[in-house]
This record gives sequence, structure tokens and C-alpha cells, in this order.
Amino acid sequence: MKRRLGLTCAAALANMVMISACQNMPGPFAPPVQRQPLADFRSYGMSAIVSMSDENAKEHFVQDITSLEASTWRWTGKRPTVRVRMRSGEHLRYIIDFALVEATLQVTGPVTISFLVNNRVLDRARYDRAGPQHFEKPVPAGWVTAGQDVTVGAEIDKLWVSPDNGAKLGIILVRMGLTQ
Amino acid sequence: MRQAAAALFGAGFTVAACYAAGALLIDQLRVALRRDERIPLAFVLGAACLHLVIFVILALRIAYWPVLAGALAGTVAAALGTGAWRGLRTPSGKTVAPLSRTLQVVFGSCAGVFAIVYLANAWAPEVSPDGSGYHLSLVARDLRVHGFEPIPNEFYAMLSAGVEMLFVPAFAIGRHSAAALVHFAFTVALALAILAYGRRLGKPWAGAAGSLLTFASPVVGASGSAAYVDVATAAIVFGVFYWAEIWDEHKSEPNGLRLLIPVGLLAGYAYAAKYTAFPIAIYGLGFVAWRSKRLRPVLLVAGCAAIMAGPWIARNWIWYQNPLAPFGNWIFRNPYVHIIFEQDYGEFLRHYGMPSLRPLVLEATVRGGYVYGIIGPAFLLVPIALIALRYPAGRRLLLAGTLMFSTYFVNIGARFLIPCLPFFSLALGLALGEAAPLLAAVMLFHAVASWPPVLNRYVNAKCWRLVRFPYQAALRITPQENFLRENSYGYDVARLIEAKVPAGEKVLAMSGIPDSYTSREILVSFHSAANQALSDTVNMGWSIELQPTMERVFQFPERKARRMRVVQTAQAEHPEQWNVHELRFFYRGKELARRLDWKLRAWPNPWEVQMAFDNSVATRWRSGEVASPGMYLDADFGREESVDEVLLITSSDFILIRLQLESMNPIGAWEKVADNPRQVAIPLPKDLRRMATYEMHARGVHYLLIYDSNYGAQDFAGDPEAWGLKVIGRGEDAWLYQTIW
Repeated sequence: MKRRLGLTCAAALANMVMISACQNMPGPFAPPVQRQPLADFRSYGMSAIVSMSDENAKEHFVQDITSLEASTWRWTGKRPTVRVRMRSGEHLRYIIDFALVEATLQVTGPVTISFLVNNRVLDRARYDRAGPQHFEKPVPAGWVTAGQDVTVGAEIDKLWVSPDNGAKLGIILVRMGLTQ
Repeated sequence: MRQAAAALFGAGFTVAACYAAGALLIDQLRVALRRDERIPLAFVLGAACLHLVIFVILALRIAYWPVLAGALAGTVAAALGTGAWRGLRTPSGKTVAPLSRTLQVVFGSCAGVFAIVYLANAWAPEVSPDGSGYHLSLVARDLRVHGFEPIPNEFYAMLSAGVEMLFVPAFAIGRHSAAALVHFAFTVALALAILAYGRRLGKPWAGAAGSLLTFASPVVGASGSAAYVDVATAAIVFGVFYWAEIWDEHKSEPNGLRLLIPVGLLAGYAYAAKYTAFPIAIYGLGFVAWRSKRLRPVLLVAGCAAIMAGPWIARNWIWYQNPLAPFGNWIFRNPYVHIIFEQDYGEFLRHYGMPSLRPLVLEATVRGGYVYGIIGPAFLLVPIALIALRYPAGRRLLLAGTLMFSTYFVNIGARFLIPCLPFFSLALGLALGEAAPLLAAVMLFHAVASWPPVLNRYVNAKCWRLVRFPYQAALRITPQENFLRENSYGYDVARLIEAKVPAGEKVLAMSGIPDSYTSREILVSFHSAANQALSDTVNMGWSIELQPTMERVFQFPERKARRMRVVQTAQAEHPEQWNVHELRFFYRGKELARRLDWKLRAWPNPWEVQMAFDNSVATRWRSGEVASPGMYLDADFGREESVDEVLLITSSDFILIRLQLESMNPIGAWEKVADNPRQVAIPLPKDLRRMATYEMHARGVHYLLIYDSNYGAQDFAGDPEAWGLKVIGRGEDAWLYQTIW
């Protein structure tokens, strides 16, 4: 009697396990959202903007950018320049975010900044007020070759010279580079 | 110093509650125990009970600090209030002879010194790989969300976590070190229990030798002073044995049956602590059946074991569709763990990269480079333990030890020998029990050979062992942050992720990190089927073998079909899976549009079938197991369609795979349409790398962690932009990227 009961229990358990295992199988699926060819994606653009807070920012510096002053910005010299590489030379835009300081502007007066791509002047702008500034402009086709290094920079016409140690300071740089 | 005090308090409070719970149960059972055996047995038994309480708290998602503290305090108060704490209502066990002076000196001095080293390591900030990894990251996650939640992206979360349940309140109070100290308490309890058992047998030298051989074993020290669970498991396993012995002694008494309650509870708790400890339940059931020759005692043990193990089995069955998760996936198929992963991982654990298992004995006792630790050269004497077969207790010890050893070859890591050690150590002690000087010599030899500076002289450099005496870090004289940065590989990366990745975001990582030190979810590439699929997609960007470089085309006379499938007909060899990036149907050169009423099926791995129909060659359906005949990809068009060509986009790494196209005829039977598809090499799709990271983005994963040692690391670092990635941080030797979508 006990043996029969044991066998029945074992069979029931095995049955339960098998049924449970089979129940794991899902029903059929409908086709998912179809991915579009990547070229059609406009939400995405290549970007090579060097933020001063980037861990690897220094690897992009070419000249005239000092060590990190705060978590997001650095002082520059006369011609801050970074080196980036783009996988496409088309539809690029020059971008720079920086700030001018009241104390230095009072000494230098209004400054003119030239914006450079591969040492070619993209544009110039005159600034006479302190505070954060943003400049952005399309880069003409042919200025940048895909897959090759490109230098992106700015040139400040007048620098502030420290009366204490003679240090020459330009602007407060936050980020600079090219985007698509 | 506050951190040190919090850790000590968190652990002490938890340990006290464990002891209190055990004392309350022993009080109810009216068991006569000596004080020296009552303390460790009550602690371990109470741990089983408390684990269930915390399981319920987490299941109800009420794991708030006051609830956890209340549960601990209530248990301690109940034990104090009823007198159970001091065992006032239970008779004392029969007295045994006091330990001899020599034994006290030999055992006390050796064990005491090791205990101090272990305490300092446990109390110091947690740096062990698994302790600061999944053991505590899952505990921290439970506490963040105040309860359990399914974690389908982490196979470690599917393991039972009976000991980690005790880490929960300890961690809530004293963070990582408190959890490690709880495990240290189990280490001490195990040593005390072994010593007490020897005294119970009237063989104090055998007990002392067994205790010290286990306690001073290098791998026991490394694991037992970290937030691991191996030594706790050994203590629970030995508890089953000990309680079974107590029951055997008292089984003829009127209340003898109730002594089986601890046997059953601990047998179930052993499974809840670590799957590989389940043989002790077999031992317990078999021993009770043999000695009682009745069904009722066996059912009582089984029922009590089910109370402890059942919740974990039920959790896995409900959440992961697999009561044995993360194992047994070929029986309980599920979308969370690929069968081939289980096979590969299991295969690795069976050899740990050892070319041959022949030197395993030396590896596990002396070298430890492959199996991550050693149990100590003294265990080369284990064959002598066979002499203990002449004693009934020796036979039982060797039987239990052999049963626990039976699962060792599933995972040959030295840690997995720990549950056997109490049995073999005691049996060795019994075998030499009549020769106290010999046992003293063995104990001293083992203590010297296991002493960390001595270990350094003969073990492999990779052998996991205690290498420092961090008392300053334990007391936080050395700041915790400094100690972790110097001694925990991956700690910097965890903190980098905490700083750079916003809360709620996930990070795909190709290697594990000590993720208990970050609150961000880390998706380790091989820790789940979904993670594997995603990392497969990402790796496709640089790995030629994975890339969609081949078209396999079936061309045939136009035919009407409502349902078609591609069948794999050959038996491949490990590790060849069947992979399909895209499956497309054509009529007169124009692809059939994939309408929403199509029904897609696959066997095996039906859950990922959509990856072959998503119009992205950066994703692919994979069989998830070695390709075998009968595997298929099936498309039901929902209506009759004219078709004259079927095309699969695949990688080029098909070796034995053979394909056949079939169509369902009007009576519902499959008939062959074509086989041997034409193979055409196709150019690598442009922007495959960015397509891969787009898939990450589409799945809500925006961060990627790549160590310099990971395959493909140079490809990512060389041109992040080509990947649609941006570097946002560097820690130790890893880059942290963000997708730029």
C-alpha cells in the first residue's frame, strides 16, 4: 500500500515537473519594430566636442590650454587648440562654449576672437561683455578630411597679463570641437 | 571609527539575534545540551530561523531599517525575557571531562592567533571578489528597494541566498564589514561545534584536532573572514550531522521525535545556503530512515527541510520559470539563462583551466593557483582518516563527508571542499585519537603551514589567501576609502561609475566589478541571456567571426505558402551554435513586408526569435545551445504568400551546420522545399559599430565599461566616435563610455 502510494506520489511529481517545464514555452511572436538604415537616423550625429571636464580631454590638447581650474573649465592662452578626428567631413559645425571675466575685460577692453578650423579662420567675433558665450557655425565642405586629424581652435587678440607673475590669460574655456 | 563601530554593532546584533532565535527553539524542544555545544548549535539553528524571517520581510517588501531592527531586537528580547538566552528551562547535557591543560594550550594558542587574524580581515573594509561583488551587491539592492524583486539580468540573483539573508540586517547597520563579521561568526561557531562534538564523543583531542584543521585551513580563513557563504554552509551542514547524532542518542525518549526538527530545518537551510550542500539532506533523511525504520520521522525531517528550502525553490519557479535556476535550464527552459552558458560555465568549473585533473590533490592542498585557494598540506593525511572506520562515529563522519564531497567535482574550487572539511578533519582526529602527541604535532604542523607568511613561501602566487593583518583598516585608523583604493581591484571603477552614471541608468560591462560599491546596475556580459545577446551585438562591431558577412540563399520555383521554416539538420560540435542575423522572404526579387500579423517561432530559444526579424544585422538570433537536428526558425505569414527565394544573413563561422527550407502544405504537414543554400559573401555593413551601440541605446543601456584586458578594448578606445560612444571616465585600467544618441 505504502509502496503504491510512494509510486503514485513520484509519478505525480514527475508529471508536475514535466508539465511545468513545458509551460515555459512562449507563444509565437509578431515581428518587432523594424530598424531603419542608420543613415536615415537624424537623431544621431557624430560629435567630437572636447569638454574640459572629460577624463581624456588632455589627450586632445594641442596648445594654450592650462590645467583644470574647476570641475568644468580651464583658462586658455592666446590660441587654445584641440585636435579631433571626424569620420565624415560633411555637415560639420564648429562649436565653442567659453566665458569672459569682468576683471580681465576691464583691463584689456573688448576682445576679438577668431574661430579656427585647421588654422583657417572660420569667423571672428568681438566681445565687450563678461559672462558665458556660445559660438556655433557650419564648417564649409572641404575644410575637414574624414578620418584625418583636424585642429579646432580660437585666437584671442588681447590677453590679460597678471601683474603678479606675468601669466597671460585669455578666456575661460568650457568646451570646443566639431559636431555634425 | 564610527564605521568600525557600526560594523561591529551590525554584526553583533545579527549574531545575537541568531543565537536568540536558536535558543528559543532549543528551549521549546527541551534539549539537554552542554554550554559549549549549546552556543554554536543555537547560533546556527537560529540563523536558519532568522533567515526565514528576513526572507518574509523582503518578500513583503517592508525591509526598512525599523522593521529589520525590530525583528532582531524582538528576537533577542524574547530570548532574554523567557530565559531561553541562558537556557534556564532546559536541562544541561551530561558533563564531560574538562580539556587538559596541554590541549588548552595547543588548541587555544593556535586557534586564538588565527581568530585574531580572521577578525581583523573580516572587520576591515570588504575587498574579496565575490563578497564585494554579487554577495553584497544583491543585499544592497534588496535594501535599496526594501525587498525582493526579480533580477533577470543576473544569474547570481537566482541562486539561493540563505546566508545572505543574515547579511541584510547586518549590512543595513554596518555595511560591508558587518556582513563579513557575520560570516566570521559562523567560522568560529563551526570550530566550536567541531570541538564540542569531539568532547561529546569523549575524544577531546580528536575534536580539537578536527576543529583546528578546519579552522586554520587557509581557504577557510580567506572565505570565513569575507562576505562569502562557504564556511557558513559548512557550519550548517555540520549542524545537520550534529543534531542527527543528538536525536540518535535520545530517539527512544518520549519527546525524541521533536529533535528531528533541527535536523530537517538545517538540512533545508543547507540547500538555501548553497545548492551544492544538498547531499546533507540526503544524509539526514537516510540516517533517520535507517535508525528509526519508520516513515513518520523521515516525513518530519523532509517537511522541516521543505520549510527552509521551499521558499527559494518557489521564488525561482515563479520568477525565473525554473525552480533550479540558474541551473537545469535544459529541463526548465527559460529566457534568462542560455543552455550553452550553463554548459560552458559548468565545464569551466569542472577544471578551472587545469590541463589535467591529475595534480588536483596537490593543487587543492599545496599550490592553489588554479582552484583559488588551498585547504592545507595537512589534508594530504586524509587517507589515514579511514582508520576511523573502526568507530561508529567515524563511519558516520566519513559517510557524511563523502556525501558532501560527492558534489565537489561539479566545482573544483578549493572553497567547495570546505563543507567536507569538518567531517574529514574529525575523522582524521578520531583515527589518531589515541595518540595525543601525534595529534598535537599534526595541529602544530597545520597551524604553521597555514600561517600567512609561511603560506607565501610555497603556494602559487594566484592562490587566494589572507595576505595582510589589517588591524588599522579594521579600526578605520586607515581610512576606508584609502584601504579600498589600494586593495580592492575594481573599487575605483565602481566609484567612477557612481560619479559619472546617473541614478537609474545601467552599465554594460564585459567583466565583473565589485558592484556592491555602486548603486548603478551593472550588466555583466555573461551574467544572463539578455546580457549575452547585448554583448554579442556590441562585440559584433569588432569581431570578424560574429559579423554578418554571409548570405545563404534558397532559390526555388515560385510557390504559395502560408508558413515556412528553415530547419537545421546536422549535429554540430561544441561550441557551434546556429546564428541568424536576418531571415528574409522574397518574391520576384522583392522582399515580403513583415506584417504585424506574422507569427514567428523558433526552437530552441524562442524568446530571441525577433532578433532575426528586426531588420538589423547588428542583432542575431542564436540557438543558445549546440546546433542539433530539428532546430528551426519559423514564419507564419497569416495568409498565403507567393515566395521564390529565402535568404538568411549570417556570420561566416558555420562549420557543421546544414540548412533545409520547408513549407507547410494545406493539410498542415511540413514538406521540404530546398536544401544546401547558395552561399554568397557580402561586404561588411557600414556603421556596424554604431548599429551595435544603437541597440544598446534602444534597450535603455547608455553606458559601457571596457577594461583594457577585454577583447576588442583597443577597437573601442581607438575610435570611440566610430562606435557612437564618448569617453566619460577612466578608472584603474578601464574606460567608461556613454552612447551619444
